[in-house]
Amino acid sequence: MNMDMTRKKKSSLKLNQSLLLVFVIFGLIIIASIVNPRFIRISNLVNILQQISVLGIIACGVGMLLIAGQIDISVGAQVSLMGILMAMIIERGFKIPPDAANAWMTAWTIPFAILATLVIGAFLGLFTGFIVIHSRASSFIVTLALGSVYKGLALLISKGSSFSLYGKFELLGRGQIFNGLPVSIIFFVLIVALTYVLLKYTRYGRFLYSIGGNRKAAFVSGINTTRVTMRGFISVGLLNALAALILISRVGTALATTADAYSLDALAAIVVGGVSITGGKGTAMSIFLGVLLIGLVGNALVVMNINPYLRGVAIGTIIIISVTFGEMSENKR
Amino acid sequence: MDSRPILQAVQICKWYPGVQALDCIDFELEEGEVHALVGQNGAGKSTLVEIIAGSIPFDTGNLIIDGSTCLNWGPAQAIEFGVQTVHQENQLVEEISVAENIFLYNLPRTKYGFVNLSHCIEKADELLGALGIDVSSDRKVSSLTFVEKKLISIAKAFSLKAKILILDEPTASLDEHGKNVLFELIRRYSKMGLSTIYISHHLKEIFEICERVTVFKDGQRVSTSRVADTDIHSIVHEMIGKSSDKLFKRSIKPLDRSAAAETLNFSHFSRDSAVKDVSFSIRAGEIYGLAGLVGSGRTELANLIFGIDRKDSGTVLLNDKDITPKSPYDAVRKGFGFLTEDRKDSGLVLVHSVKDNISLVNLVKKPLGDGFLRLGKEEDETKIVSDSLDVKTPSVHQRVINLSGGNQQKVVLGKWLFAESNIIIFDEPTVGIDVGSKSDIYKLIDRLAAEGKFIIIISSDNPELVSVCDRIGIMRFGELVKELEGTEISEEHILQYSLGVEAVQVQGL
Repeated sequence: MNMDMTRKKKSSLKLNQSLLLVFVIFGLIIIASIVNPRFIRISNLVNILQQISVLGIIACGVGMLLIAGQIDISVGAQVSLMGILMAMIIERGFKIPPDAANAWMTAWTIPFAILATLVIGAFLGLFTGFIVIHSRASSFIVTLALGSVYKGLALLISKGSSFSLYGKFELLGRGQIFNGLPVSIIFFVLIVALTYVLLKYTRYGRFLYSIGGNRKAAFVSGINTTRVTMRGFISVGLLNALAALILISRVGTALATTADAYSLDALAAIVVGGVSITGGKGTAMSIFLGVLLIGLVGNALVVMNINPYLRGVAIGTIIIISVTFGEMSENKR
Repeated sequence: MDSRPILQAVQICKWYPGVQALDCIDFELEEGEVHALVGQNGAGKSTLVEIIAGSIPFDTGNLIIDGSTCLNWGPAQAIEFGVQTVHQENQLVEEISVAENIFLYNLPRTKYGFVNLSHCIEKADELLGALGIDVSSDRKVSSLTFVEKKLISIAKAFSLKAKILILDEPTASLDEHGKNVLFELIRRYSKMGLSTIYISHHLKEIFEICERVTVFKDGQRVSTSRVADTDIHSIVHEMIGKSSDKLFKRSIKPLDRSAAAETLNFSHFSRDSAVKDVSFSIRAGEIYGLAGLVGSGRTELANLIFGIDRKDSGTVLLNDKDITPKSPYDAVRKGFGFLTEDRKDSGLVLVHSVKDNISLVNLVKKPLGDGFLRLGKEEDETKIVSDSLDVKTPSVHQRVINLSGGNQQKVVLGKWLFAESNIIIFDEPTVGIDVGSKSDIYKLIDRLAAEGKFIIIISSDNPELVSVCDRIGIMRFGELVKELEGTEISEEHILQYSLGVEAVQVQGL
């Protein structure tokens, strides 16, 4: 009887936690729509999804890593650095004098830039993971330092100036298919779906949860914790590369500070969604809902004509409330 | 010597949920005496000294300190009277000086309220000089040797005007010289009226330094005698007691050792001084026990075997085929299973479900080829495992953090069985588990042996080893000193070899 009761209590709490987020999101939509009916227009909703797609793709990588108990707050700097490198490649590619002998180089500039960005992303992830694992220090401190290194490199390489794509690469960020469905949203949804499958239906996903839940037990159970953690960091790097491609394509120019805010926004979204900061808990759905909420807050403030500088205050408050709630439901058990 | 009691514990009882830790204990400490307290693990020694130090309350009985009955005895009162405990582990603050450690709770100050370091060092040097401890007090604690730290801990206790000193395994990891310095100090201060309660597993020392010895067993006092009137063997005998009712009866016993069976050879396992050239062999279907004191190298040995820690040497041969694990991953692939000592720390992912915990090793061991997990099949299969072990849980989706200790242990076992482990190491399998689940675990171990698996049990619960194991290896200071078999197996023998009492006899004591 006692056990039955604990089970009931637990399932109702679980319901509460994910439902709370959905309620908050709907509440926000309703309030924003009443204040300004333009909010609920399809075009605005699509606009919101497009705006959060970069954040969402970054958050999926960081979220999976956080489930394994590792934090990466160098992601914003990684994206900025890759954006600079990619934009430099494209700018150089299209500056080549257009004579016949070099025409093929210009034609291959975009595919080469995409490939190079993905390779750099994988390498940045590998490097970050290597340093985190072998320094044996807390990943928070190590990635804080690495973020500073990456940002410094981006500034050094760009000499502080911006690089323009001259409108040569717009498909990922601004392109649309099916009469108005932005390509970036498709990528966002695909990555969320991929994350869902990885976390729920693969051994790799299960290993991420186990390592985050109890690293020692995972190790004794035979999981190669170093290898799995490393893969987590490499996925973060690859998803950051994709995010950099979409972001720079949308913005059209790259600066060394373009993506700085994404480190904390991604972490905020994941934590708000209900991924445990110590690892072992969270789902693709919680990452998605967290990203959606963060995106909605920013847009709703603008649409409701409230000072957009309040965004930071609002997001901070939401994080504190959701973490407190998560902590309370955890302790009640 | 005409002594008066400084401390009397009269009929003290202490209950913990489900256990009576102390059963109407009488204990008396005279002024200026060194009084040994001995007993097996769980006999109640620590509970009594913690009550005396005021850190836990007792349920019934009286504590009479210096002639007056103590009401509301707590840590503050104990310290005020002068009860000081020197714990087995180092409890000094590593990053500050010896002097600051000694006066940590009462640092001398300048008139501006800052710490007066030079005065502090002066006073500490004075104290250490008086105690005959040759350590300069401006050194950082982290630069001291183990012995020096121990001596400083004791000096600190003195500086707080100790009248009753509790020493918990003070000579653990001290060499002969360090021990002599320590004993000299204790003797000198006893003459000045300090009373000492001395807890130790090293019975030999008790005859060197103590005047009286009290033996505890299962929360009861067995005896108190002058060391002059007793000897090591009577003490060992009293520690074990008469009631050696077997907890559990094996289904098949004794093992037919002539029959052809697979043999598993563990040879030359070594690492530094923790494990020294340990070799033994087990036959399929045999339950091999590893006995010894805490810290004798048993868990370290298991970590070497399983590939968790780096080893200097050691191989495992199954019928002459080398199956030495290089890592836990390798161990899992080769059919090893390891139920660690601390299931919450390294056995289970507590926040995950019974299902996820049981299937974890299996996922590591058998890649499912097609890559995707089949959650329905996984649920059915883990439910079968969970049911066969009689895990009491409403469903396999229950998080293991909500299960009792016994059921958690069954889940850990289920994890290894689901992965079809063939060689299973149990480290303290029944610690913190209620009596009912204990016998379930023994039955399961017995069943696994009957199926022809290789079983190793590490335990500090000697009656448990005696009733469950076919053979028992005893470790002492990292070495496998003795193997017991058949009729040799008894608690008395285990204790003798664990404590090294045989060696004492050879030396003619």
